[in-house]
Parts: sequence; structure tokens; C-alpha cells
Amino acid sequence: MSSTPLSAADLRALARSRSIERVVVLGANGTMGYGSAALFTTAVPHVTFLARTTEKAQEGLEAAIGQVRSPTVASRASVGSYDDDLEKAVGEADLVFEALTEDFAIKKDMFDRVEKARRDDSIVATVTSGLSINALCEGRSESFRKNFLGLHVFNPPNVIVGTELIAGNDTDPGVLDFVEAFSRLRLGREIIRTHDTPAFAGNRVGFKLLNEAAQLAEQISPVLVDRLVGPYTGRAMTPLATIDLVGWDIHRAIVDNVYENTDDEARETNKLPAYMAALMDKGVMGNKSGGGFFKKDGKTRLVLDPATGDYTPEADIELPNLGYIDDVARMYSQGRYREGMAIFLAADGDEAAIARKVIAGYISYAFHRVGECTDTIDGIDRIMGTGFNWAPPSVLVDVMGPKAAVDMIARSGLPVPAALEAAAGSAEPDAFFHHPTINIGKFFVAG
Amino acid sequence: MAVSEVYILGGYQTDFARNWTKESKHFSALMRESVLGGLEATGIAPEEVESAHVGNFAAELYCMQGHLGAFFTEVHPAFSGLPTGRHEAACASGSIALLAASAEIEAGRYGLQAVVGIEQMKTVDSGTGGTYLGTAAWYEDEAEGIEAPFPKLFGRLGDEYDKRYGLNDDHLAEISRLNYDNAKLNPNAQTRTWYMNKEHALCRTDDNPAIGGRVRISDCSQVTDGAVCMFLANAEYAEKYAKGMGKKLEDIPRLKGWGHNTARLRFDDKIAESRSAEYVLPHVRSTITSAMKRAGIADVNGIDGIETHDCFTTSEYMAIDHFGITAPGESWKAVEEGWLEIDGKHPINASGGLIGAGHPVGATGVRQLLDGYKQVTETAGDYQIEGAKNIQTLNIGGSGTTSCSFIIGR
Repeated sequence: MSSTPLSAADLRALARSRSIERVVVLGANGTMGYGSAALFTTAVPHVTFLARTTEKAQEGLEAAIGQVRSPTVASRASVGSYDDDLEKAVGEADLVFEALTEDFAIKKDMFDRVEKARRDDSIVATVTSGLSINALCEGRSESFRKNFLGLHVFNPPNVIVGTELIAGNDTDPGVLDFVEAFSRLRLGREIIRTHDTPAFAGNRVGFKLLNEAAQLAEQISPVLVDRLVGPYTGRAMTPLATIDLVGWDIHRAIVDNVYENTDDEARETNKLPAYMAALMDKGVMGNKSGGGFFKKDGKTRLVLDPATGDYTPEADIELPNLGYIDDVARMYSQGRYREGMAIFLAADGDEAAIARKVIAGYISYAFHRVGECTDTIDGIDRIMGTGFNWAPPSVLVDVMGPKAAVDMIARSGLPVPAALEAAAGSAEPDAFFHHPTINIGKFFVAG
Repeated sequence: MAVSEVYILGGYQTDFARNWTKESKHFSALMRESVLGGLEATGIAPEEVESAHVGNFAAELYCMQGHLGAFFTEVHPAFSGLPTGRHEAACASGSIALLAASAEIEAGRYGLQAVVGIEQMKTVDSGTGGTYLGTAAWYEDEAEGIEAPFPKLFGRLGDEYDKRYGLNDDHLAEISRLNYDNAKLNPNAQTRTWYMNKEHALCRTDDNPAIGGRVRISDCSQVTDGAVCMFLANAEYAEKYAKGMGKKLEDIPRLKGWGHNTARLRFDDKIAESRSAEYVLPHVRSTITSAMKRAGIADVNGIDGIETHDCFTTSEYMAIDHFGITAPGESWKAVEEGWLEIDGKHPINASGGLIGAGHPVGATGVRQLLDGYKQVTETAGDYQIEGAKNIQTLNIGGSGTTSCSFIIGR
């Protein structure tokens, strides 16, 4: 599963072994569609933006130009509609990139058309964030299945490089190796190979923490949740603000998919809180609907009360004493991450215990997904670091020390992963994270 | 007593895409991460370090902080009491620190030295930063009251080439494109996710505004936070170190040659001096050739890759002929022939250089040497130049004023 390490020269030869002159992006008016299409124009001479209508495709092209702030995207792009242009464009394409809405039936219908129009040697990639790759190509021709794969780019792709590459049962290993080399060298992607499991690796582990934060908001204010699971726990953006940015509907689609299609030890943490479903019925979708957990009223930041759906100015919400977070931040500001983490682990009070339970859950859940979502913890670490910009689970364990991590997980009443148990028992445990080119300090924001 | 060779044991660079102000981090965190990272990367125990040199341009301005050598001692209790100091020569500060450290090794004073190049620049807005950078020129004459003084000075370097030999902006755009492309391969490059292609570099709209005559945004290196720590050792220490790593002394890269010249400060004075000379910046040429001579390398054909100071595309254009890749004034040939690509005849800036990798001013010279180390030890990852034996750096302070060059190889 994990890719064989190749020399840079071999990797370059592999990336050049096929020519990708033409890419078609289906659903090019959507966020993932135009963002990915813009990305392809960095390396591909001709990128066709297709949507239901040419006007919509044109909107996608304009959004792509706006996202990367370069009018030159247009010099490598053309636009068209499914009805008028799909067959010709797909027939000429070396790579077909599907970015339609996350609906199995809609994607399936589109692949029916793609299958008829494509060349036998063209690659078909889907950007799905969690639908089954095997199910999406089930019953299709051998050449389609051999050339079909998941290439899960995160939004926005011009900022986030972490990308999941997912094979179906019949995907040609040579096609996967080529797509990995091309994506790494020409598109600047950090490629993580994952298994074909619901939500793959990054969203499976990441949205579990986000949803747990949303569940906590039923008991304590969203402001307090984001303070407790804030930057000092290893992330630039706080969890509930992240759900607002991603969109509540997207959040629901991901956690519902995981909740319905998996049966793991932490299943209930993936259950969407009832208040979110109720508020979504009233149109609350996060930032795109004008507000979610938080919204702005001029310069005032307002905070949702999940019980009532009402908003209160942040300044009116009384928070408990969180002095330990300032102490941690002071250590981080001088680059003393171990010392800062030790303060967190030793902090008194219910609030610190709540925060530790969420972080313990993140580590425990991630290590328990090894074998299921990825071959090793390394894949989960890399997608959490480069896809979410969160401290990878292994980095947290290394900074805490495995013994302290095990203690925290056990005290939180969560299952302790065997790998951590073993490391905690060793007199001189090896580090879990082995990427000297990734600065671990960047994950510990002193905020 | 025989002069010791200077051995390079490796080091560490911070991720140049990071914004340490956004992370709410103090200058000391930048120093700390680079030094601890360097110790870990090399496997050197803190107690072994005998002295430290810090290269930095303007922390007094950017961070309201001087006395930077003392910050080294804050990194580890074992460092308390070590002899340390800070070196400054504008954008060549890092190389000056390396020169001082290597001279002390040659003089037999110390066996193991740390060198840190460091700059935190994102503490201020770009206008203020541009003014601070202006102090690398003759501030009163060349920078005071001028917006973006350095892009303008290096725009004039392009104009000087244009006047003497003709210069096509298409070749500058290609230099920019290549640096950005290479940066995509470097996991610590600042621009690794940025959008760039040749058409964009040639774009003449507000998306790529001119800020210094012919110099546009795509021609510029970046405003960068970053630090790099490296360890230099004498033969005795290096031998012991190699043994501990299960290696031989000849496996450890050496500083084979160095060059260092300082020209007059004002750009006009430099150009007037070179009016009838073969090269536009003769002292830069001399820095390059003196390093080659000290390394016993006849010319650029003995160099497998170059890490040059592309603070602007015009400075890389200048470097191409000054290294002798082409005859003076014919740098465009190397661009057109593809010689500068990673698998070309004369790869330049496989790392992405200052345009792609970033330019934390005082750290750049040290970053260039660290990238040279990675190349000759085959640890450069996706930007590895196949079979690289000798890498040469060129680090420039001011408008071609202070030039330093090193050759690293085994």
C-alpha cells in the first residue's frame, strides 16, 4: 500500500512517463471543481471546465482566477457544458477529474457518460471526500476500473497540499504510482495513500474531533469549547470555527456517512448533535449562511446558544479561569513545546480535563485506525499535518512522551492503543514521527 | 601547526512558509527550533558545541532586539558560558557568520562550531520592511523616501544588462518560473503552494505589478521568517563524529573553497567602476572564481549545482554569466537551453532559491550551504541533483556589495 521510496531522478522519470496534456474537470463550478482546475493549470497546458451550463463553467473559471489571483488561468482553460461538450472533451482528455456534488447517484450517472466517451487509456479520478471508490466503479469496464482512483484534494487546494490517493480493488498499481509522482512533482501535493473506507483517513479522524467539539457545545458555550480545544492543543484554527468555515451541511454529510457505515469503538462521537440538524432545517449552514456557531454583527462577535438557537455577544459570556492556557502559550511563544504540553497535562480543573479528553480521543482514535484507514500511523499523521494543519497524533505523543500520553488516555477512560502501551513501557522509546523536513513547532500556535 | 580542513556536519532549516508572528512566537523560538533541530539532525550532543556564530541583518529593526549571540545560550543549559557573537553584512550576513566560524576552525581555536542564520521579517508590513531593507544600501542616498528601494536597484541591474548586451524579460520570467517549479519539490520552501507559471511571470496586469522599474512581483524573492543552524568542525572532531556514525572522514563533506569581496556601497559607483570591465559586477565574479581556485576547481564544469542569490530574477541572470556558464552577456542562452533545470547541465537553485524557497535575509547564506550539504550527501529528497559532488553558493549583500561564495563537496 505505502509507496516504494524512489530516488528523485526515478520519480521525475515516472512523472514524465505519461503525458498529461488535457484535463477535464466535471463540476468545475463547485468549490472543489474550480480549485482543482486552477491547480491543474499550473502543470497542464489545457484544462476544460465543464458544468451543467457554459455560463456555470464560466463562473467556475472566474472563481479559479480569483482564487489563485492570476488571469493566466484563462490562457490554459476552456469552458463548456455537459450537453454540448462532454463527449468531445472527455474523449480528448488524458485525465478526467470528477468534482460533482457528493451524491452517489449523480456521480454514477456522470460516470455512465464518461465511460462511453473516454479513451481506454485515460485516467478517471474522483475528488469524493468519502464515497466508496469501489462502489463508484462497480460494474464498469475493465479499462475504467483499472484507470479509476480517488484523488481527494482538500479545500482550498492552493493552500492545503495534503491529498489522499485511494485505489479501488482493480486500480492498476502503475497508474497509482504515476498519479502520485505527477501530483507530487508537478502539482506540489503531499500524497497520502489510504484504504477505501468511509471518509478515508483525514476526514475520518479529523471530523471525529470536530463533531465531539460540536457535541460538547450542548454542555458548555461554543466559546469555551473553542478555547479549550484551541491553538494550544495543536491547531491554527479552532474546531467550531472550522465547522463554520467548512459548512454545517458538509460536516453533516461526512459524520453521517461515518456514523452509518462504520462500527468503531468511538461510534457515538460521530453522531451529529440533534441541535445541529434542527438549526440546519432553519437554514443555519455556518459562514456561507451568515453564521453558525459564531457570527459577526459589525465588529461584535456573536456566539450561538445551541439550546435556543439565539446569539449572545461574546463579551457577555463569562468564562472560567483558564490561566493554564496562558501559561502554555507563554512556553510555546519561546518555542518550549514540551514544557507547554507538560503544563497542559498537569493542569487542574474540570475544563483542562475536558480538553485532555478530546485530545486523548484524537490520539486514541487515530492509532486505532491504523490498518483500517492507512497501513501505518504515518499516513494519518501526514494527512492531519498537511490536510488539516493539526498536530499529527504522533507529534502529540512525542511531545508529551508516550507514558504521559498513555496516562492521559487511560484517565480519560478511552482505549489505549497497543503501540503507545509498548512505547510507554520502553526505557528509551523511539519517536513516532520521523519527518525531519516537517517542523513540528508550527503546529503549536501560542494563542 | 597545520591548518585544519573545515568539515560540515549538517544542520536544519525551519519551514520558510511559516509566519512566526501569526504563531505568536518570539524571536527566541525561531532560534531555539533551528538549533535544537540542528542538534537532532546531526546527532550532536549540546555539550560538544564549543562556540556559536549568529548571522542576522536587522533584528534591531524587525524585532527590537539586539545582542543575538546571547540568545544562543538560551537554547540549552549546556550552552551557558559559550563564546558567541553576531555578524552582519546585509543579505550576506549568514555567509559572514560561516566565514568567521570556518576561520576559527582553521586557526585551531575550536573543534566544533554552531552557525545560525536567522531573520524574522513578518513582524512589520511590507512598506516598513522595504524601508528597513533599504539600510543595506547607502540609505540616505539610495533608499530614504523611496518606496521599495531594492527592487528598484536590481531593476537597474537589469537595465544595465539591457544597455550593454540587450535583455529580454521573457528570460527573466523563465528564471522565475523555474525557481517556483523547484520550490514545489522542497518541503521547506515558502512558495511551494503558490500559483505561478511562465505566463503569470510575464503577466503585465495588476496581478503582477511592477515595483522597481522592470522588476515585477514575480521577479522578487520573498519576505520570509526563517532560521538555519549548521555545524562546522575541524578534522579531529569530524573524524570522531564520522566514526560515531559508522562512516569514514572522507564521507563527511568539506568546505573546499570560499570567496569574499566587498565592492563600493552605492550601485552607481559599482557600475561606474565596471564600465570597461568584462563583467557587470567584477567583484562578484572574483568571489566566485577565488572560491573555485581555493577548491582546485578550474571552472563551472567542475560544479554540479549552484545555489545562487536570486533576490531578484536580474541577480540570477547576472549570476549565470558571472559563474562562467555562458560568456558575459549571454546568460539567456543557459535559460533557453534548459541548462539550469535540476537535470540540466548547470542546475541553479534546485531548492527554489530566494524566489522560491524564501529569503529570511540573515539566514540565506547558511540555507544555501545547508542545501549544498543536502545535495552532496544525497539527502535533498525530491530536489536532489543526481550524482552531485560539488555545490557552489553565491550570497550577496546589498546591490552586489558584499559577495560570499562557498564550495561544498566530499
